[in-house]
Amino acid sequence: MPHFLRCFTIFLYLSKVTGVAEVVEPHAWEKLTPENICDLADIQVKLQELVPLTSKALVALETEDGAGSGVIISPDGLILSAAHVIGRTGVEMDVRLLDGSRAKAVSLGGSEISDAGMLQIQGEGPWPHAEIAEMKSSNVGDWCFGLGHPGGFDMERGMVVRIGRIIKKQDETMQTDSRLLGGDSGGPLFSFDGRVIAIHSRISKEPDQNFHVPIESFHANWDFFRNQDLLTFEEIEQGGFLGVACEESNQGLIIRSVLPDTPAESAGFLENDIILKIDNQAVRNREKLTILISTKKPEDEVIIEYQRDKSVATLKLKLGSRFE
Amino acid sequence: MNNLMVVNLIFKITLFFLIVWGTRRMSADSNQSSYLPEPFRLNGITTQDAFGQGKVRALNSTVRLLRNNKLIALGTLISPKGYVITKASSCVGARKATLQNGSTFSLKIRKRFEDIDLALYELIADKNTFACVEWTDDNLTLPVSWVFSSFIELEEIRVGIASGNPRTIGREGGVMGVMLGQDGKAVGGVEINEVVPQAAGDRAGLLAKDLILSIDGRRVFTKEQLGKLVSSKDPGDMINLEVSRKNKQRKIKVTLGHSSVTFELFNRNLQMSGPVSKRKDNFPLILQHDLPLPKEGMGGPLFNLEGKCIGINIARVDRVTTFALPTKTLLPYLKDWLPDAQNILPERITENDTEADL
Repeated sequence: MPHFLRCFTIFLYLSKVTGVAEVVEPHAWEKLTPENICDLADIQVKLQELVPLTSKALVALETEDGAGSGVIISPDGLILSAAHVIGRTGVEMDVRLLDGSRAKAVSLGGSEISDAGMLQIQGEGPWPHAEIAEMKSSNVGDWCFGLGHPGGFDMERGMVVRIGRIIKKQDETMQTDSRLLGGDSGGPLFSFDGRVIAIHSRISKEPDQNFHVPIESFHANWDFFRNQDLLTFEEIEQGGFLGVACEESNQGLIIRSVLPDTPAESAGFLENDIILKIDNQAVRNREKLTILISTKKPEDEVIIEYQRDKSVATLKLKLGSRFE
Repeated sequence: MNNLMVVNLIFKITLFFLIVWGTRRMSADSNQSSYLPEPFRLNGITTQDAFGQGKVRALNSTVRLLRNNKLIALGTLISPKGYVITKASSCVGARKATLQNGSTFSLKIRKRFEDIDLALYELIADKNTFACVEWTDDNLTLPVSWVFSSFIELEEIRVGIASGNPRTIGREGGVMGVMLGQDGKAVGGVEINEVVPQAAGDRAGLLAKDLILSIDGRRVFTKEQLGKLVSSKDPGDMINLEVSRKNKQRKIKVTLGHSSVTFELFNRNLQMSGPVSKRKDNFPLILQHDLPLPKEGMGGPLFNLEGKCIGINIARVDRVTTFALPTKTLLPYLKDWLPDAQNILPERITENDTEADL
C-alpha cells in the first residue's frame, strides 16, 4: 500500500516539472484513508448531500412474519430486496415509503444462494427510485452507506443511515463494516456516487463484518428474478447436478475442482477448463451456473460450451442428482 | 543534458510504478478474496487518527468508573475541578475512577438526577486542572453526521454516524414475562399460554394454563385490560395476582421485570447484540448513533467532528443503536457544577428554550 502513495507523490512532482499530466486531487472518499478532519468533513458533506437523494427510494416491507427493507430502482416500481425477506414468489406485501405512505407490492423472484430478491409495486408510477451501479463498479476499500428501517418502520425515528467501507467482495457476497440489524434486510447499500451497489442480507457475529448481496448478482440473473422464479436451497437439493466448483474470472467460470463420481467427471471436465455457455446462455457468474443447472431435473440433458487451453468445444451431458 | 536525463529517469520510474500499481489493482479486481486491512476500516486506526486533536481531547475528558476494580461505566469530565457525570443506573457502587494517563482517584457521589438517569460524581483530588469537555448543541439540527467517543480502555476511539430523528423515548412499563392465550367473559379471565423461563412470572411461580382472574383486586377479562394494568407499573414494582389453577384459586405476587431483558431470548436482534443497557427508556430527548460500544461504555461523552461534546451516551439499545442525551437536555441540570456557567453555556441554551429547532 505505501508503494502506491510513494508513486503518487513522484507523479505529482513530475507533473509540476514537465507539465505532461494533469493530476486531479482525489476526493476524500477516494483516498486510502481520510487523513484529517477536512477529509472527514468532505465525506460528511457528501453524505448529507446523497442521503436525501437516495433515501426517497427506500421502502419498508411489512410481511406476515416480520419487517424488512427494500429499494425502488425504476419509475414503474421494481424493488430490489433480499430473498429471505420476500420468502417466496407471488406474496402480497405492504410497502411503506419514506414519508409513511403505503402501497402494495407482489414478490417476484430471487435466489437463496446470494439472497437476492425482487418485488413489483402495484399501482401507478412514477415511483421515486434510485440508480443501480454497473457490474464491477465497486471495489474493496470503497466508502459506502447503508439505509434501512432496522426493527421495522418507525415514523418518529425515521430511517437510519450507517457508513462503512467494503471490506471484502467475493462471489455472491459483499462484506462491509457498515452496521446492520434485523429489519435492515433488503435495504440498499449505496456508493459515494449515489448508486445502489448491494442489498443488506445477513449480520455476522462481529458487528463490523456484515453481509450484502452485490448488485452483480442482480445483473447476472435479472430475467430469472424478474420472471417470478425463486431458487431455494430445497430446489437446489432436488434439481440437476453437474459436480464442479468454479471461480469467476474475466474469461468465464474457471473450474477449480471436478468432484469424483459426478456427471462432470464422466464427461471428462478438467481443472482449469472454463465454462462459457450452458444451453447457449453465457455464464460468467457462479450463481447463474447453479440457477441454470438446478432448475433442471436430474437426467435432463444440457449442452455446455467450454474452453480448454486455447480451443473452445461443446459437449452434451446428462445431469445427475446431488444425492447419489 | 544532465537534468533531462534525471527527468527522463523519473518519468520511467513513475511509469514503472504506475504499471505495477495498475496491474496490482486489476488483479485485485478480478480476485478480491482478501479483506480490507483493519487499519483502513471504519474503526481502523487510520480513520481514528484522522479525527486528530478531537481524539486526544476525547480520551483526556473521559474517565473509567470502577467497582471492585472492574469497569462498570465511563464518565464525562465536565469541570476542571473534577466533576464527572455518568449514567446513574450503570454506576451504582462506583468507588474509583481512572483517567487516560493511568492516575486513579476516589469518587464521591454529589447528586443523582433519576429522571434522566444521570449521576454526578466528584474526583477526590487537590487539583483543579482536569481536562474537561467543551459543549455544543449544534448536532440537534445537523442530520447524518460523524460522531465519536472514547472506547472503554481509553486508548482508542470509536467512530460512526448519528442518524434517525432526535426524539423523546417513552416509558417502558413492567412485564411479567408470560405469553397470553384465551381470554374473555366465557373463559373467566386471561389464560397463560407460555411462561418465559427465568422471567418475573416464572420466578413468582406462574405456570402455563394458569387463568389470571384479577390484578391488585381488579377483575380482568381481556388481554388488553391486563396489559394496561401491568404496563402502568414500573419494572421492580410488585403486583398481586389472583389465579385459577386446576379450578383452585390462589394468590401470587409478581415482581415485574424489564420488557427488554425479559424478551431478549425471543428477539434475534437482541440475541445478536450482546448485553444491552437495562434502562433505555423514558428520556425527554435523545440523539441516536451507531458507535460500537459495550454497555460498560455508557456515560462517556459523545463528540462531533470538531471535537465538541454534543451529549453523553446514555443507553446501549442494540448492536447498532446507542442513545445519547444531548447537551441541550443535560446543561440545565448541570448549571451549578459547570465552571463559569455563564461563559460556557451557549446563549441559546436557556430553560425557556427547550422545544426550539425540533
